[in-house]
Amino acid sequence: MITLTELTKRFGPTTAVDRLSLSIAPGRVTGFLGPNGAGKSTTIRMILGLDRPDSGTALVGGRPYRSFRHPLREVGALLDARAVHPGRTGRAHLTAMARSNGIPVRRVDEVLDTVGLTEAAGKRAGTLSLGMGQRLGIAGALLGDPSVLIFDEPVNGLDPDGVRWIRELMRSLAAQGRTVFVSSHLMSEMQLTADQLVVIGHGRLLADAPVTEVIAGSSPATVRVASPEPAALARLADGLVGRHATVQRVGDDELLVTGSSVAQVGDLAHELGVRLHGLRTEASLEHAYLELTGAGPAGSGARSGTSERKEA
Amino acid sequence: MSDTLPRTTRRDAGHPPSGGGLPGAIASEWTKLWSVRSVWWCLLSSALLMAATAGQLAIYVANGNTDDDPANDRGVLAVGRIAVDAVELTQFAVIALALLTITSEYSSGTIRGTLQWIPSRARMLLAKTTVVAGVTFGTGLLLGGLGAAVAVAVLGEWGRLEPAETVGHAVGLAGYLALISVCTLGLGAALRGAVGTLVTLFLLLAIVPTMLRLPDLGPLNAIADALPGSAGLHFLRGESDAYPALVGLLIVAGWAVAALLAGLAVLRRRDA
Repeated sequence: MITLTELTKRFGPTTAVDRLSLSIAPGRVTGFLGPNGAGKSTTIRMILGLDRPDSGTALVGGRPYRSFRHPLREVGALLDARAVHPGRTGRAHLTAMARSNGIPVRRVDEVLDTVGLTEAAGKRAGTLSLGMGQRLGIAGALLGDPSVLIFDEPVNGLDPDGVRWIRELMRSLAAQGRTVFVSSHLMSEMQLTADQLVVIGHGRLLADAPVTEVIAGSSPATVRVASPEPAALARLADGLVGRHATVQRVGDDELLVTGSSVAQVGDLAHELGVRLHGLRTEASLEHAYLELTGAGPAGSGARSGTSERKEA
Repeated sequence: MSDTLPRTTRRDAGHPPSGGGLPGAIASEWTKLWSVRSVWWCLLSSALLMAATAGQLAIYVANGNTDDDPANDRGVLAVGRIAVDAVELTQFAVIALALLTITSEYSSGTIRGTLQWIPSRARMLLAKTTVVAGVTFGTGLLLGGLGAAVAVAVLGEWGRLEPAETVGHAVGLAGYLALISVCTLGLGAALRGAVGTLVTLFLLLAIVPTMLRLPDLGPLNAIADALPGSAGLHFLRGESDAYPALVGLLIVAGWAVAALLAGLAVLRRRDA
């Protein structure tokens, strides 16, 4: 269980995290979504006691992180996978880590096996690929068998096999009753992995709800229509506008339609004899997310000028 | 790669976790220190610097002694004293070792990992202090022995090898190196970067005292005497003109404690 109460962090004039209050429950995967610069990493750093909040609290199991004597047994975290000394081997890194928290050193071999790094354990971390570095970071997160796991952008640099593996790992960790908190800017990934979604933008909470609810709560789906015949497409557009749909032309061969279902658009195309190469709805988490964060195609005041401090 | 997680430790065992704490933090820092190559380069450099500097100083002494009668002991020097004099240069290799234990954490980003493992800033810094002090003290003993051995070989009849005296010099030298290394560690934690820390140390140990002494004015000399490098040499050479030799060691210890407190304040206040 992670509890944030009115958590606030300012860097100079910009507010990176703005009175964020949240409860992240055990037994499910909670996705932490937001565009780059929304304050995700800063929030995670405050949970881990690395950054000091300007006000508010971040508690793990009811206690501030800095008060833990054996923090790795409480919270496993994957932050920047590159945060391993490049000259140190993966095994030495994990051994030092285990000793700091009184974890038996044999556990190092167990987690190396879990992440599939047994053979590369003797290589200096600087020579590991990005994906292997990520696996080493995950091994570190699992080392203390913690009940709370935090992953910051875990699929970065992983190949498709690795992405699937990480997805299954997170699901199985949640199924074991652990709290799993995963940040990502990839909505598609979260749609596959998360049960609960926390969406933030500009440091503020935008949504905290089950994935299905977030999708259902989004505005009517957009239908994307593609045709190789621009003239016929224009006829279809006119017809749709005549039926009170909103139509946006995307290039010569595509339309974005709102206020009309896929079935309606398909029927009309058939009626008008328009040859179609594509017809699909964009009803997805992505759509809902873009709406929430104000960066959607509807362009509800897409703000830029992000304020999160540079990811080091 | 296995898809299931081995379930071990706490949840299965059911007893409260033990270990960790300060002993765990020290073990962790010890493991980290010896698992990178740079520490070995620092130790090798310090040995080479000591051998070369002690050799050169011993040659000066031997050549400067024009009295052919070694029974006239005015030109005879304790071999440990050569090692002590050589430390003024050699210390920088040892300082580099101490420096790397903290500044490489910031340059490689591992400080965020370290503080996740050991969230108590005081415990983390104390663990590093223990390891750095222990390793540099041991290194100092070896360097003292090495410098004396070189001096014995080069000085020949002009060298005086008395076991108690030689050991005394080596222990003093080791103590000074341990304290100046801890000072380096604290300063590195406060300044966070290798370059800034090294420049500051170089100024404190070598440049500023020399500059202050140039005009040979009382107050300026007094300031120079209070700087850690001068105070350390004062102690190592057993001088007692400005203050008793042992006070020199206390002054260096004071600098080390002050630097540690500054480092701790920065660690506590600033974001990692």
